[in-house]
Amino acid sequence: MGFVPDLGKSLPPPSVANRNSLWLAGVGWCSAMLHNAINHRPPMKSGVHRQFLMATIGWFIGYHLTKYENYTFAKLDRDMNEYIRLHPEEFAAKEKKTFAEIVEPFHPVR
Amino acid sequence: MTFNRLFSGAAFVSKVGSRSVFTSSKPDSANPNWLRVGLAFGTSALLWGLLFKQHSTDVHEYKVRNGLE
Repeated sequence: MGFVPDLGKSLPPPSVANRNSLWLAGVGWCSAMLHNAINHRPPMKSGVHRQFLMATIGWFIGYHLTKYENYTFAKLDRDMNEYIRLHPEEFAAKEKKTFAEIVEPFHPVR
Repeated sequence: MTFNRLFSGAAFVSKVGSRSVFTSSKPDSANPNWLRVGLAFGTSALLWGLLFKQHSTDVHEYKVRNGLE
């Protein structure tokens, strides 16, 4: 879970509200409610402190996960672009043909 | 209570509608364990504080490294 090396610190950090945080907070909350349900307690009304704590833990993990994800994808993109820059012959633009040149003459049979 | 259940062998015994032989008293749902409630909310507050602090550090670090501040 996100221990981003020094290089990744120049990336824009994710905002506190991000998709992974939201999802994992939901996972934490549902696991607290499931725990309530398994122990025959009212799922949503009991143990609000537990629900809040699990949701918080999920949110926290999600933030660091997003940071690590951003770093990983940035590294991959950088390496890919560097490869493209060093091997332009493999990425030559294809010669474009218009439809007029490809399409055969049309002889309607009515 | 959750950690007692995880770490004690009673976690593997089904407690559906029965008293556990490992605890001497039934779980009392009428009187909350205020210590545990306080610890849970305190830990949550700590985590939120850590999160916001980390975020502000990250934003500052980003600005410094990209010459925006």
